[in-house]
Amino acid sequence: MRSIGSRPDEPGAVQIAITGIGVSTAFGRGDSPLLDGLASGQPAFRPAARFDTSGCRTTMTAGLPGDPKLGVELAAVIEQACQRAELSAADRTEADFLLALHTDHDAARDPAATDVIGAVPAEISAATGLAYPARIYTTACVAGSTAAADAAAMISTGRTTRAIVAAGFLVDADSFRLFDAGRTLAVDGQVRPFSSGRKGMLLGDGLAAVVIESAQAASRRGVEVLALLAGWGRAGDAFHVVQPHPAGTGLARAIAAALDRGKVAPAEVGYINANGSGTTFADASEAAAIHRAFEVAADSVSVSSTKSLHGHALEASSLVELVVTVLALRAGLLPVNAGFLAADPACQLDLVLGASRQAKPRYALSLNAAFGGASTALLVATA
Amino acid sequence: MTTVVLARAQWPTGDADAELPAVAGFIESAFSPLVAAVAERCLSSYFGDPPAALARGERTAIALATSTGDLATAAAVAAAVQAGRRVPPLLFYQSNPNAVAGYIAARWGLAGPVVCTMPGSATAEGQPGVGQANELTSQALAEAHASAALLIEDGDADAALVIAANAFLGGASFGTAELVGPSWWTSA
Repeated sequence: MRSIGSRPDEPGAVQIAITGIGVSTAFGRGDSPLLDGLASGQPAFRPAARFDTSGCRTTMTAGLPGDPKLGVELAAVIEQACQRAELSAADRTEADFLLALHTDHDAARDPAATDVIGAVPAEISAATGLAYPARIYTTACVAGSTAAADAAAMISTGRTTRAIVAAGFLVDADSFRLFDAGRTLAVDGQVRPFSSGRKGMLLGDGLAAVVIESAQAASRRGVEVLALLAGWGRAGDAFHVVQPHPAGTGLARAIAAALDRGKVAPAEVGYINANGSGTTFADASEAAAIHRAFEVAADSVSVSSTKSLHGHALEASSLVELVVTVLALRAGLLPVNAGFLAADPACQLDLVLGASRQAKPRYALSLNAAFGGASTALLVATA
Repeated sequence: MTTVVLARAQWPTGDADAELPAVAGFIESAFSPLVAAVAERCLSSYFGDPPAALARGERTAIALATSTGDLATAAAVAAAVQAGRRVPPLLFYQSNPNAVAGYIAARWGLAGPVVCTMPGSATAEGQPGVGQANELTSQALAEAHASAALLIEDGDADAALVIAANAFLGGASFGTAELVGPSWWTSA
């Protein structure tokens, strides 16, 4: 597996640093409430309060309190990330801004709409002082992670020195009823990744922002490096419109590419934040991908899907989970894989069960997979 | 790596292109059929019948960019929700552009990354005329090329099916697909 995407050693290769993070989930606004939620291991799912779920197969989502607005919430996580990275006003306007979004609720109701994204990017620019996004990612459940990988690639290929990557999704009636119609939501109100008896996914609000820059630029500015983005990989399954390949071929190649970029062996990876949507077919495919890419090392790497705690934030999920992975490495805390009932022979992994686990691995992977066979792997290293 | 455009296709190309060919499983919107149509024309002109040759297909990405996104699918979902009607399950599958990209990837054996984007800058003011629609589609094509060039230079793909697709609510659809790859792919 490791031969795919291999490249000669580059002595001058650019190290990619994460210097700012911002996040909001159903656990609250900011990284402290999220870390507390991950440590507690108590899922954030509640009956949906913001819209009517009558006639649906479940009522459960993981939502922020009140009536959040996407542009406002995204501006807030971007502000958190920029402040954490100590970016000046000039740094902000010069940075490349990449944004991952879901179809806009208002645009979908506007007969004069000319795009599905609506006013959110302009609202963010007005509130944060960032330029209008250079690119908007709509690649479903790998949108945020693809944007992060692209940001790293833009820096390593010399296109830019710094990027601000943001992603946001708030559960609304459209997305809820769409996923209900697709019969993907867990009727038992719990997400049980990789568990026997898992019933599906649940949606959750998620917003995240990450400042990514060359380690050299971070060092020049004298700011703290929170973690390194040591590798990244993106690949496809070439298999089906919406289902992943049962052998996890695309995700395995994405993992191999990420490890190869980081020059890291599978045995050095101590934690995998899995895609783990809780869907029968997809979780088995992901377990197969991990075994395919890790071979014997698959037996010794700790795995959990934090979607079992904060839910699935669609286009934003993979960026929220990158932030989760950074927080987990920094805190030395591997979040629990909640909702587990019993082992599934199709998902033989060293899952973090019962409670979060103390551990201080050097490397962790954040995995994501989406409709169309799109797969990503982000390799995070302690600074 | 130097890449060249190996094949190119458009929709529409003339009066014969009045109705997009239906794609099984996709309903109510021209967006996915538009993407599928330009992809099919482009890939078949280079590879012949599907699938692509294995060694090339598995290193070929799909970079799809759109200025509009799938407006008709979004509107159909919103209309069902507002009317309190059941959302048709097929709309779930086509609710993001990855689905049609997956359709193309599976049919042709393209196992590189799948990246769907919208250009950062231009959006139409009101329903665009043909001139502005063509301009938006050119911008989307430039965006898809930029996305593909990054993937190729970064090493996750050797080639890419680059697609620009705009399906306006008024009914007009404009698409372009180009296969970009290493110059040595010009010979079979």
